[in-house]
Amino acid sequence: MDWGRIRFFLGEVQRNFTRNAGMQITAIGTVAVTIVMLGIFLYARSALIHAESGVFSQIEISVYADPAATAAQETVIRTALAQDPRILSVSFIPKREGLAQMRRLMKGQIDTSLLTENPLPDKFRIRVREAQEVPAVARSIARLPHVQNVEYGREVVQRLLQLAAVMRPVGIAVIVLFLLVAGIIISNTIRLTVFARRREISIMQLVGATNMYIRMPFICEGLLAGIAGTAIAVGALALARASLVPKIASALPWLPMNTVAVDLSTLVLELFAVGAAVGALASWIAVGRYLRT
Amino acid sequence: MISIRGVSLVYPNGVRALDNVSLEIGKGEFIFLVGHSGTGKSSLLRLLYREMAPSIGHITVDGIRVDRLARGRIPALRRRLGVVFQDYKLLSDKTVWENVAFALQVTGAHTRDVRRQVPRALDLVGLAHKSRMYPNELSGGEQQRTAIARALVNNPKLLLCDEPSGNLDPANTTEIMELLRRINLKGTTVVVATHNQAVVDRMRRRVVRLDNGRVITDEERGYYFLGLGQDQILSG
Repeated sequence: MDWGRIRFFLGEVQRNFTRNAGMQITAIGTVAVTIVMLGIFLYARSALIHAESGVFSQIEISVYADPAATAAQETVIRTALAQDPRILSVSFIPKREGLAQMRRLMKGQIDTSLLTENPLPDKFRIRVREAQEVPAVARSIARLPHVQNVEYGREVVQRLLQLAAVMRPVGIAVIVLFLLVAGIIISNTIRLTVFARRREISIMQLVGATNMYIRMPFICEGLLAGIAGTAIAVGALALARASLVPKIASALPWLPMNTVAVDLSTLVLELFAVGAAVGALASWIAVGRYLRT
Repeated sequence: MISIRGVSLVYPNGVRALDNVSLEIGKGEFIFLVGHSGTGKSSLLRLLYREMAPSIGHITVDGIRVDRLARGRIPALRRRLGVVFQDYKLLSDKTVWENVAFALQVTGAHTRDVRRQVPRALDLVGLAHKSRMYPNELSGGEQQRTAIARALVNNPKLLLCDEPSGNLDPANTTEIMELLRRINLKGTTVVVATHNQAVVDRMRRRVVRLDNGRVITDEERGYYFLGLGQDQILSG
């Protein structure tokens, strides 16, 4: 390795980078904002996508019996459910088992040993043949005697997923727009540097430097801006994930997020790749315009 | 070294800078291009280092067909010749040493070549002792010598000078011309575009006179004015 050559090259990059510090900060900031948005988008998509696939097969109705209902009265409910042709399957979860299930689910989150008695009612879990019939079935069950409550919370999920389907193209459009803006700002920053160095560039051309050689410091400058912006964004995202995701998960428990399934290292790599590519591409275009004339 | 045949250059605005110019310049020659401002001297030089391409005609420089040179090959041509300008074109934030080294560094030269070639070039122009100074700390003549060192650091066989003494007083002009003469004695072909009559008349070299983009005379050991040297004016 020719250390002198590398040092000369790095010196050129550093001079470029520090010459337009103000503009560089703007460019880095824009990249950071863009990458944060892209990061949130990709993370949410990754977390939701795993939940989404199972949703339709999982639509079910929970029927809670009146806590005061006797075993005979619950049998009436069970018979009525069994006779409904729209219902595919019925499973009965007695309150003892319900509590045991809850203990397992809430382990470490809620101290269930504090419970002096079982607060849960007996529950029937019902699968319906056709997803569209869920609301009608739920209504008719609610009219049965000794039924306290009927829930099919997955409907909320369905709405949410419909919303997500609408939001996805909007999100992509916003991100593309931001990437474009980031690219233009980086491109302009590089053009300022190119302009400030036009004398050097003309001398480089005069003594026979190749266009590729002239381009390299500027490409590196753009790359650096892209990577620096991404680094800031990734830092902000990591903070947000650590502090916000648990809060979101507990505030919106019905949100079908599976944050464990998100491959964080791949996501971070993707973000850095996008940041670096935007920086490099923008400066390539900026210098190219100058070298052609 | 240089072969120019039937070359015309018309600028996009319609100005005809060169009109059917033909010229042969041999290896090791020292030649002046003279004429008033705007007669095409600089344009002719620009064609030689491919700052521009001729509208028609053939140009060969050191075996390279310059008139139809692909954009990607221009750097290779430029590395085989040196160019010096009236305004020196030095980088003010680099020292003399760095300015000269720059020409090698940006063409990807090895550090050991830079360390060997730069002192040699600075020795040649007599600026080794000022290598750490910045251009604005130097006289005009020293700045031009730095520019010449930069042009020569690649060991080119051809040196193109566009009004090298244009910004210099007579003493510095003499100094620069003496340097160019020495460079020529070492075998480098030197082409000097100038309208400095004293320089041309003192050197008594080949003089190609341009007028309105045409070569009107081409004399061995010529004077600035056609067939009428200063001594003839004085004695006549």
